[in-house]
Amino acid sequence: MKKYLTVFGLSFQNEFTYRLNFILWRFRNVLRVLMTFFLWNSIFSQNRIAFGYSREQMMAYVFLVLVITAFVSSAPSNDNIGGEIANGDLSNYLTKPISYMKYWLTRDWSSKLLNLLFAFGEISLLYFWLRPQLIINSSPGSVVIGVLLCVSAALIYFLVTKLAVMVAFWIPENTWGLMFSFLVLFEVLSGAIFPLDVLPTLGSKLLQFTPFPYMIYYPIAVMVGKLSPAQGLRILLQSLVWLGVGIWLVNKMWKSGLKTYSATGR
Amino acid sequence: MKELKITLRYFLNSLQMQLANMPAFVMFFISKLLRYGMFMAFLFLLVSGLKNIGGYTREQMLLFYLVFNIIDTLAQMLFREVYRFRPLIISGNFDLVLMKPVNPLVRSLLGGPDFIDLGILFILVAVAGYVISTQIHPSPSNEVIFLLMIFNSLIIASTFHIFVLAIGILTLSVDHLVMIYRDLTSLMRIPVDIFTDPLRSVLTFVVPVGIMFTFPAKVLFGLLSWQLVIVSLIIGMGGFVLSIKFWHFALKHYQSAGS
Repeated sequence: MKKYLTVFGLSFQNEFTYRLNFILWRFRNVLRVLMTFFLWNSIFSQNRIAFGYSREQMMAYVFLVLVITAFVSSAPSNDNIGGEIANGDLSNYLTKPISYMKYWLTRDWSSKLLNLLFAFGEISLLYFWLRPQLIINSSPGSVVIGVLLCVSAALIYFLVTKLAVMVAFWIPENTWGLMFSFLVLFEVLSGAIFPLDVLPTLGSKLLQFTPFPYMIYYPIAVMVGKLSPAQGLRILLQSLVWLGVGIWLVNKMWKSGLKTYSATGR
Repeated sequence: MKELKITLRYFLNSLQMQLANMPAFVMFFISKLLRYGMFMAFLFLLVSGLKNIGGYTREQMLLFYLVFNIIDTLAQMLFREVYRFRPLIISGNFDLVLMKPVNPLVRSLLGGPDFIDLGILFILVAVAGYVISTQIHPSPSNEVIFLLMIFNSLIIASTFHIFVLAIGILTLSVDHLVMIYRDLTSLMRIPVDIFTDPLRSVLTFVVPVGIMFTFPAKVLFGLLSWQLVIVSLIIGMGGFVLSIKFWHFALKHYQSAGS
């Protein structure tokens, strides 16, 4: 445990090495929120309720997307693991008394902490600029379920993205292709651009059987009161099932990949 | 003429390289198609469930989005090499570009087009053509001005990319700058009028992404005055001249670090 705490601390410090890059990255996240904010703002200037959402609920949804996305999707492992497998740098880690996956999970969580801190700062600035009215569900049950869903979301994101980058064991020249496909699906189907219950009922129900809505939509739906605590609890259980499936698949793929790995490039 | 021949050679080389890795080519193509299709479906659902958004009908919103994608995809296809500029600068390998009897700006800007975007472009143009001919019915003069405004948008896109290259030479940082350009432009998936002031004015006249993406479609609807067409063209050309001057300024300050 101690060695991972050290990795966490070092990784946190490392994030400050490229300060300008980090600030520009955060600025990009704010830009992304602006489009959805003004789109919904325009819709609610003509309608009191749209797709079952009040203005306050929708604005809370848009703002929470910034925070939850910062927490769930900040993952330096996505940019590194595929390359390390493809060019043989993985060998450096295999010789050390450390789990490669836990090492990158720790680095991801360090990055998440920093991104989360900045996201709260950005939310405050945007709040004072745009002055939206927000509704957040403050019942203790919903808050606890919402937080647990967020933690589960971050872990599911880690596992699914690792499944995508581990194809580098078999096709090292295509490390980015599958990841790009995943990121496209994540962008549209996770609820980062629009709440998924805007979709026809059949569509949003079918999405439950994919891991995407568990990463952004469901945690926020609980926090803005679109789902009751009982419904939230059911979603949390489903989320844990996805987590279990993800862990099983990643372990299986990792073991199988290591058998194929030949340290090409070293 | 020489530049044109060389650019054509860059295009052919790039096409050969991309076709050499067919699975990745297909994967990127499908993913991009999925991204455009899904956002379009979302807009369609959104406007179908409401009367209009910001005074625009469902068909108009779809056309704004299609025109946005045509211009954005064209720019991404042509200027993909900008995304690979930073390694050249930080390694000092840009020296090798400067030594060759080729305009370094042409090489840095057009040296590696992305042909995955070409396939997407054909589909987008076909869908936009269908929507325009069946739903919008613009006058012939508006069609001509529309094409002129698309050309102007490409000039503005070139301007942005040249500024990114020049700033890259001066600061050694390109990656996030070009991505900020991408994020700024992606705000224009919806018409600029939907934003409120002062952001709307900034996006129209200061960082003219509104002129780039919203104005061409507005011409088709007959919603853009001739005065604004002229202002757009002046901003487009003026910005381009400034970007060329800035590029030359940056080149004089290139320090060949890392070589």
